[in-house]
Amino acid sequence: MAAPVYILGGYQTDFARNWKKENKHIVAMIREAVEGGLEATGIDPKEIQVGHVGNFAAELYAMQGHLGAFLVDVDPAFSGLPTARHEAACASGSIAILAASAEIEAGRYDLALVVGVEQMKTVDPAKGGEFLGTAAWYEREAKGIEFPFPKLFGRLGDEYDRRYGLKDEHLAHISAINYSNAKRNPLAQTRNWYMTEDQARSVDKFNTVIGGRIKISDCSQVTDGAVSLFLASEKAAAAHARKRGIALESIPQLLGWGHRTAPIEFTAKIAESQNNPYILPHTRQAILDAFRRAGIPDVWAVQAIETHDCFTTSEYMAIDHFGITQPGESWKAIEDGTIEMGGKLPINPSGGLIGCGHPVGATGVRQVLDAYKQVTGQCGEYQVENAKRVATLNIGGSGTTSVSFVVGFA
Amino acid sequence: MIPIQKVVILGANGTMGAGSGEVFAAGGCDVVFLARTMEKAHEGLVAAQNMAKSVRIADRISLGTYDQDLEEAVSKADLIFEALAEDIELKKAFFTKVDKYRRPESIVATVSSGLSIAEMALGRSESFRRNFLGIHLFNPPNVIVGTEVVPHEGTDPKLVQEMVQLLERRFGRVAIVAADKPAFAGNRIGFKVLNEVAILAEEHGVAFMDYLIGPYTGRAMAPLATVDLVGWDVHKAIVDNVYAHTKDEAHEAFRLPPYMEDLIGRGHLGNKTPQFGGFYRRVKEGNQTLQLVLDPKTGAYKDLREAGVRKLPWVEKIRDLHHVGRYREALKHFLSAEGAEADLARKVVFGYISYALNRVGEKEVVREVRDIDRIMGFGFNWAPPSVLIDMFGPEETVRQLDRYKLPVPPLLRTIAPGQKLFHEPYVNIGRFFAA
Repeated sequence: MAAPVYILGGYQTDFARNWKKENKHIVAMIREAVEGGLEATGIDPKEIQVGHVGNFAAELYAMQGHLGAFLVDVDPAFSGLPTARHEAACASGSIAILAASAEIEAGRYDLALVVGVEQMKTVDPAKGGEFLGTAAWYEREAKGIEFPFPKLFGRLGDEYDRRYGLKDEHLAHISAINYSNAKRNPLAQTRNWYMTEDQARSVDKFNTVIGGRIKISDCSQVTDGAVSLFLASEKAAAAHARKRGIALESIPQLLGWGHRTAPIEFTAKIAESQNNPYILPHTRQAILDAFRRAGIPDVWAVQAIETHDCFTTSEYMAIDHFGITQPGESWKAIEDGTIEMGGKLPINPSGGLIGCGHPVGATGVRQVLDAYKQVTGQCGEYQVENAKRVATLNIGGSGTTSVSFVVGFA
Repeated sequence: MIPIQKVVILGANGTMGAGSGEVFAAGGCDVVFLARTMEKAHEGLVAAQNMAKSVRIADRISLGTYDQDLEEAVSKADLIFEALAEDIELKKAFFTKVDKYRRPESIVATVSSGLSIAEMALGRSESFRRNFLGIHLFNPPNVIVGTEVVPHEGTDPKLVQEMVQLLERRFGRVAIVAADKPAFAGNRIGFKVLNEVAILAEEHGVAFMDYLIGPYTGRAMAPLATVDLVGWDVHKAIVDNVYAHTKDEAHEAFRLPPYMEDLIGRGHLGNKTPQFGGFYRRVKEGNQTLQLVLDPKTGAYKDLREAGVRKLPWVEKIRDLHHVGRYREALKHFLSAEGAEADLARKVVFGYISYALNRVGEKEVVREVRDIDRIMGFGFNWAPPSVLIDMFGPEETVRQLDRYKLPVPPLLRTIAPGQKLFHEPYVNIGRFFAA
């Protein structure tokens, strides 16, 4: 048994903000996330022993690399702090969490700070789309293609359609649920936007087709956001609990994790999975690994899921890959209300990447922070009743790097 | 919550009419857009679709004219929302009709940004008066969520509370209750600062004042650029109304500067009159767009680059600190900066804090400091006074108010050391300090 990794809390910036309009450097995002997290948890910066930053492409969006080093700028107590930055496209945030938790399990450090951050509103959508193309095999799948990623995830939908049949109305329903959930999340980017299922089904001058079967309403957002998360060993968590006068047992843990990487090219992925009931078997395996490590039999042992809906097709994929339905039958859980708030197993109570927003490198950290908030009853209007265990799924590229966590109590 | 399903918008072709209609339709209501002609009503629908970025929002909106459809629409409505021009006689004429056709339990609201709610209710039936109130949305309503609910003396108090809840929960608003006093809360406090800066611009220059009281002092947009966006006619209407009908410690700050009066007479209304401009004007020269700036002393416009704003090292330092997210440190520099310009900037900023907090009280505009914070934060995108006080510290704030001979709000003397005034867990205070 690996040593337990506790979650002490964290902080999310308001995903509706545009930091370029505020004329802010990316370090301001990191600083707000960390300072907000320190305040929310009552952690003394001196106690933090290591820092990990998840970020996809600050070199492109903000002409800035070496983001781990910016943690040191946040507080005088961080001078000398060992830090690193981690990149795995849209899964960067989860990879940063994995690195931090591995160090805690290994006994190297007792208290780790994880930050996920992405500033994306610095460039126009076409340029941003091209930057995101570097999460695929750029030369083969993105170069010279306008908005390559919607097209790749459109192909995921096409593959479902080919193998099992897929109705776009089910994708529209996924979009509407995420927007609707986001309305209850005071930090969600789209909390004041207009979207309905009718709108998501419509193809018109506002809801245009971006590529293949993917329309604007099927897409996650271009988002500026930063999220902090504090992970602790049992020793540090016990000290934290004593200081706050709470029981150690009341602090949730990263109960399990799964981490798999598929071939980067979408065509290669699909070729590989031809005889598999799951279209993205490595993603399925990452989820099963997380369940196994968490000691839970299946998805019905969790009460909510925060999944990677970079497009509606990726959430459609998540439904059967989590095992909520048989492979190819995700539509059943959409039709019968299973995944809605108040349903048997709500997906993305936060609004997900479509509703809450998708600051690429921050998303994995945001998901785990939301899972933490759910199991500690801090989600306010988007709280899932009796959520004691929550699973996440964070995906980099076109289903390439998959990371899943289970958050809850031992 | 109050069951509101059917809404009628009077004046649906105007910016506020269409925008408010969009907010109600987005909240799931069936909305009737009424205007003088079908063409006008349709203009409102197109505007609402553009705001919602949705063609399909039209599914919830039907169109009509005052002559053909007002009686039926009003008789079926749960909420009759008036967004006509800011002309009290025009509004009253419509309210007479509404009073005649409405169901006794329906709610009637006006989006007016300053006219007396009590006066609008005069002469109306008892049930109209009980169900009548102001719902002041800010422009554009689909983006700016700050909202003032303004009862008059006869409004049912239960309705007021329920309306606040409804606006917050169903329509995504940040709503406060404001007293029926000129300009209500947000515009009273906001336009005090804006007009004060306009007065100071005569001596110190337009571009310099916008630089000195710029975004770094806790606002999304510089003050005089804001007046250009709002429109000089609207600015005049608001400050004239407050000047004529209130008498408080900042009375003279509401006197419209004569140069503005003069230029308004010559058609300069800000961005809405691009050929004349306002504080700024853009002109095309060949392929280039030149940015011109007004010289209030002469009424002439000159090239903004030639007008040249003198950069102040301490302002640049503060902006640099905001740029990297060191807001507290930045505000410390604001306190310690030396020179006449620093005094001027502090006088305006602490004047804002003083004036805002003095509007809190039983006989004042709002009941709680929180109301002021919410409306300045979400109606104006300005740093709420409590955020500034928390960052300066209450003792330092009192010291600065004394230093600039500004009235110290009694509340400031009661804050315990270390006690915070601003408690909105989901609001990032950094968003108020643009670099």
